[in-house]
Order: sequence, then C-alpha cells, then structure tokens
Amino acid sequence: MERNPIRRQLANMRQSLFDQGYLDEQFIQLEELQDDANPNFVEEVVTLYYRDSGRILLNIEQALERKPFDFHKLDGYMHQFKGSSSSIGAKKVKAESTLFREYCKSGNGEGCMRTFQQLKREYATLRKKLEAYFQLARQAGPMETACRPK
Amino acid sequence: MAAMQRLAQSSVSTSAAATSNYGGSSSFRGVETVISDQFPAGLRVLVVDDDITCLRIVEHMLRRCLYNVTTCSQAKVALNLLRERKGCFDVILSDVYMPDMDGYKLLEHVGLEMDLPVIMMSADGRTSAVMKGIRHGACDYLIKPIREEELKNIWQHVVRKKWNENKELEHSGSLDDNDRHKRGIDDAEYASSVNDGTDVSFKSQKKRSITKEEEEENENDDPSSSKKPRVVWSVELHQQFVSAVNQLGIDKAVPKRILELMNVPGLTRENVASHLQKFRLYLKRISGVAQQGGIGNPLCGPVEPNVKIGSLGRFDIQALAASGQIPPQTFAALHAELLGRPTGNLVTAMDQPALLQASLQGPKCIPVEHGVAFGQPLVKCQSNISKHFPQSIVSVEDVPSGFGTWPSSNISAAGPSSSLGGLSSQNGNMLIDLLHQQQQQRQLQKPQLQQQSAVPEPSRLINVQPSCLVVPSQSSASFQAGNSPASVNQNGSFNKTAVIDYSLLSPQSNNSSLNIGQVTDGDLQTTGILSGYIPPASISPSVSSCSINADNCSSQQLQNSSMTFKASRQLPIVHSLPDVQGSYGAVKLGEVLDQAPFANLGYNDKGTCLPTRFAVDEFQSPMSSSSRGKIFAENIGTRVKQEPNMEFVDNSRVGIPMLQQFPPNELMSVFTE
Repeated sequence: MERNPIRRQLANMRQSLFDQGYLDEQFIQLEELQDDANPNFVEEVVTLYYRDSGRILLNIEQALERKPFDFHKLDGYMHQFKGSSSSIGAKKVKAESTLFREYCKSGNGEGCMRTFQQLKREYATLRKKLEAYFQLARQAGPMETACRPK
Repeated sequence: MAAMQRLAQSSVSTSAAATSNYGGSSSFRGVETVISDQFPAGLRVLVVDDDITCLRIVEHMLRRCLYNVTTCSQAKVALNLLRERKGCFDVILSDVYMPDMDGYKLLEHVGLEMDLPVIMMSADGRTSAVMKGIRHGACDYLIKPIREEELKNIWQHVVRKKWNENKELEHSGSLDDNDRHKRGIDDAEYASSVNDGTDVSFKSQKKRSITKEEEEENENDDPSSSKKPRVVWSVELHQQFVSAVNQLGIDKAVPKRILELMNVPGLTRENVASHLQKFRLYLKRISGVAQQGGIGNPLCGPVEPNVKIGSLGRFDIQALAASGQIPPQTFAALHAELLGRPTGNLVTAMDQPALLQASLQGPKCIPVEHGVAFGQPLVKCQSNISKHFPQSIVSVEDVPSGFGTWPSSNISAAGPSSSLGGLSSQNGNMLIDLLHQQQQQRQLQKPQLQQQSAVPEPSRLINVQPSCLVVPSQSSASFQAGNSPASVNQNGSFNKTAVIDYSLLSPQSNNSSLNIGQVTDGDLQTTGILSGYIPPASISPSVSSCSINADNCSSQQLQNSSMTFKASRQLPIVHSLPDVQGSYGAVKLGEVLDQAPFANLGYNDKGTCLPTRFAVDEFQSPMSSSSRGKIFAENIGTRVKQEPNMEFVDNSRVGIPMLQQFPPNELMSVFTE
C-alpha cells in the first residue's frame, strides 16, 4: 500500500478508472511499457491518442453532416477510431465505437448519430479523468509499477 | 504525414544503427551467419500502421523485446523502404486497414518482392478477416489491441521461414556446411536466448533444428564450402521440377518420383518435398488470387488449348503446369504447342504476336500484372510480352513453382513484361538461344532443368527467390543475356528482366532444347501457374549455364555475368534470380572467385539487396553489386556441383546481360497481376 498520500490517492484514482469501466487491461499493458527509460510513456501515448483520434472524430463529424450517410465510409473511420481507442484501453469509448459500427452496418443513421454523441461524451470524460490522473502522477513523482487490479 | 515519414526515417536510421550493432547476426547470411548470441534480440522489425497511437505502442513493445524497430505509418513508404533496404528487415508487422494501401496488398507485395514474413494486425478479429490474411500469405494475424507477449515470439516466423528455405536449399544442394553452420548458429541462438520466456521454446526448437540438421547432413553428400548456401532452386532446376511434376501429374507428384525424374545430382528428396509443398501452396494461392480477379486472366485458369503458346507455350505451359492450375488438357495443348516448336527459339513467339496475345490471354501470366500492385503497366508488358512472351512466361512459371505464396499474378506478370520490355527481340533471341544452347547441352543430363531455367522466377521473387537461390529464373535469364556481356550493367532492367530472362532462355531452342519444350512434353498439365509462378528452381539450370558462359566468356563476361546477376538482383521480384546468376557465374568462374564477395551478401549497395532472410543462407541476401556476382559464385558453387553440365558454357552465351535489358517495371508488371 502506498504510504505517500499522493501516491495513495493516485492509486485510488487509477483503481476507480478501472472499476468504473473507463479503462481496461490494455491500459495496464501501457503501464508495463513505462519504465525508467520511458517514465512518461503512458501519458505520451494517451496524448498521442487524443491528438490523432481527434482528427478521426472530426472526419466522422463531417461525414455525418453529409446526407445521405456514407455508411461504408463511416464504418471505416470508426474502425480506425476503435483500433486506436482499444490500444490505450479506453473501454467505454471502445464500446460506443462498436455500437456505432453496428448501426453503420445496419444502415441506421439515427442510431449512428445518437451513438456518436454518446461516444463524444465518453471520449471527453475519459480525457478529463486521464488528464487529472497524469497531473497527479507528475506530482507524485516517479512511481513504481502501479498495483494492477487482479 | 510528413512528420510520420520523418519519424519513419529517423526510426529507420535508428534501427539501422541498431542493426549494425546487431551485426551480421540478424541477417543470417549464409553459413557464416553471425548469429547474435542474444537472438532474437536485434530482430529487425518493420511496423506499418496508419494509427500512430497503435504504432507507438507496438514500437515500444517491440523495443522491450529488444528488437530493432522501424515504424512507418504509410504502406507506400514502407514498401519503398523495403525495396531500398532489401535485406535490412527480418519481419514485417502490418495493419490491415490502412488508407493509402490495403494491408493485404502490402502483404502481397512483400511476399512477391521480398519474401519476408509478414504478420497482420487488426482490430477486426473475425474469422473471415483472419482467413483472408492467411490466404494472402500472412505468417500470423494479431488482433488489436496487441499485447507484448504476442510480439515476443514473432521471431519464430523468421526462423521458421529461414529454416524451411534452408531445408529446401540443402536438399537440393550440398548443404553440409549449411547444416553445420546452422547447427552452430542454432546453438548460439539457443544458448543465449534473451527472452526467458522463449528459453523453453528455444530448446525445443533447438532439438528440432539439430535433428533437422542431422537429417539434412546425412542427406547431403555433397561437401561444399563452408559457405554453402541453401539449395537454390534456380530457374532451370525449377523447370526440371515443374516438368517432372507435370509428367507425373500434380496429383500424383510425389517427391521421390519427382526426384527420380529430375535426376539432379545432389538433390535430395527432402529438397524436392519442401519445394513441392511450396509449389502446391503457390498454385493454390494463384488460383485463389486469380479468382479474386487479381490476375488479369489468371493463368491459373484453364489455359485455352488453342492458345498458341507455341514457342511461348513452352514456358507458359511449364509454369502453368507447374502451378498445377492449368487443366491437364490445356496444359497438354499448350505443351503440344510448345513442343511444336522444339528448337524454335522461343523468340519465335514473337513472331506470333497473336499467339502470344492469345497465350497471354490464356495463361495470362503477364497480363496479370494489372491486378498486381506492382504497378507495372501490364499493358506495356503485354505488347512486349507478345514478343517475348514465351520467354517471360516461362520464367514466370518457373519461378513460382512450389512457392505457395507466390502470387502468380505478380510473377507472371513481372516476368513476361520485363522481358518484353527490356528484351529486344534480339536479346530475347539471344537469351533464348542461350537457353537453348544450355538446354541442349544439358539435355542429356537434365532436360528438365532447362525448362526451369527458362522460366525465370521473376515472379517468384516472393517466395522462391528470397529464400533460396532459386533465383534461377533470373539467372537463366541472365545467362541468356550472356550473349551480350554488356548486359551486365543492367541493374535496372535486370530487375524486371530477370524474370523474363529466364523465359528468354527457355525459348531458346537453338542449342538447347527449350527448357520448356524439353521439359514437358506433355507434362504441362499444370501450366496454370504461368501467371505468376516461376519456379525458382528453374533458374538453376540457367545459372549453371551462366556460369559456364562466364567461363567461356572472357573475364569480361564474367564480369558481365556478375553484373547481370546484379541486375537481376535488382529486380525486386526476382531476387533470387540475380543471385542465382551471380552465383553461377561466380561459381563457374569458379571457384575462382574468392568467397569474399559473399561477405557482401546482405548489403545492397544499390539497394538491390535481395531480401536478406533472417539467417538465411544468404545467397540471396542483398548483395552489393560487386558482391552479387560473388554471392552467386558461392551459390553457384554449391549448385554448380550439382550441375555437371558445365558445357553449357560453351554454347550458352552469357545471356545474363540480356536480362538486364528488360525494364524492371515491365518485367514486374508482367508478372504481377
């Protein structure tokens, strides 16, 4: 158990992200890649993710403005987005992506729109949470490997 | 994406630097592979994914496995990188869904051109998607998100591939040394496996490899130099193989009988068996690809009997036959056509543009190009092909023999086109003549070989060539080109021509009966493959011829041959070809050539490196132009032993140079579908 209060807080924050389903196992893979040589690996990757996936979301947004919907294209974008999201362990975001793709496959434009809005919300929420997490992590200083939810 | 490119570049340079640290170990060149004690550390991996998040993560994971990582976010950039630095990568990880190029396309290209193991990655884990990946020749299929554990063992694909190739080579040639080396290497590898997790697997592999080595060693009765390369399925050898298979019928073709029919000294049943396996896979692939429309008119498809392949037919038929794709009757018909012009130079095919066209349409070796990503304008090839079709086709066919993954389309396309493009009718004739000569010379001994040589493997590039010396097709081509020693310089043309060259060689009927013609009198049942499969083996015969020629020729010729080899090497597709040629020439020259050049294996000064197979006996590894000849020498040396008919030299002109005349693109396009 972390003696350092900040670290404890950090650990709790991290655990809750898992417990609440925002993150999944893949995030742990990222954490494992973090070491002395790459002390901020996780944060770097997440930052990269938000930057890159933001672009894809914009594409989707624009595609949703053109009627009729090009479901094939939308599905393609979402496939990419889903891949990225799953790489960092963004569980809820990934779930919304899957749902969006289902709607694309069935040609349900309404469903796509709705799901997309939900997805954007989850995406933003996760971002805020992770930002707070990383900020705290920086305060806590170099951490040993965090406890993983078993 | 410029940023990504820069990143790629930097990562490339980084990995390059790292690679150098790794030393020659990762290249697994030849027998003297300097296997790093820390294998698989230093494995050179190229990761291609448009998703930079995923790219970064995978890169990191691979670095943690102590691999040398190069990342690329664009498939096209990756392909260029692979082409420029042949032999600088051991395995490729590629995403399936990419905006600029389909991952499967990249996979095909890599298989065709570099024959490196490719592992697909995708968030799409549906069975159908995975199946598609396998069908396209992926060594493995990882589902995103990827875990580090999954990446740890990717080295197995590299090793497996190399071993399989070695096995083939060894079987077909004297591989004692290889075995010994391999054993040494394996020991080193295993002894110092870096990954704890892989220790166990290492040991088991070690056992297997040692057993394999022992077996191979027992079978090898041909003592060769320490640097004995794997059995190189030269064009000639492959043609022999193809004709033997045709004779027996693809269904009834068992290694033992094939071996008997081929009657190649030094070739073992195991060599043939593994080659046959590859050939069968290749045929399957071709048919699969053909069905997908990849190939213009899949040669795999039935070759219309009326396709007057004629002179051409010989080659095509062989290839097709080899591929087993061509229905027996078609094949027979084609064969008949071919035979119809027994000594006719294949060149005669040129006389029958219509014929060629027809044949083209039929087997479509060449036209296939269109489909193929090679990007070679098939159309162009077509016209050329008509002239040289026979030749090119042959080569195409030969090459692919047996290499399952060989996209027939590519090969065939490449082959013919290249030859057509580059080879002027004259050249073609020369090559053909050369080929014929060679064939004739060899007829006595290895009629079938001739055929194989005729068919340059250009298409093979992918499977056949890289791993083994199979290059033959190219070499044959080069040999044929030998007529014009000057051709040596054709690096560019050679690339493509390599494929054709062989074909040219084959058609030559003057002295040597057309390889093709001879080979299969009626065996061409499976010419289906024409399109893309150029049995690598076929090259060997030509190789010998080449070397012979080299001997005959003045040193200049020798140079030429070497150069030719070089040129052929440049052929992206025909990797093996150049090697073969070079080796032959070199060998011939004998053994005169000091083995030093072989040390260059693996480099591509001109970026023509043949894909250096990870620990492959590198015969084919990319060689600098200078080393090319030498490398060949080594290879040939090994092979030469197997081919006693050196007399070809006298007759065969150094056709190698000719090969180079083919514009690579054309060749490639011909073969690629």
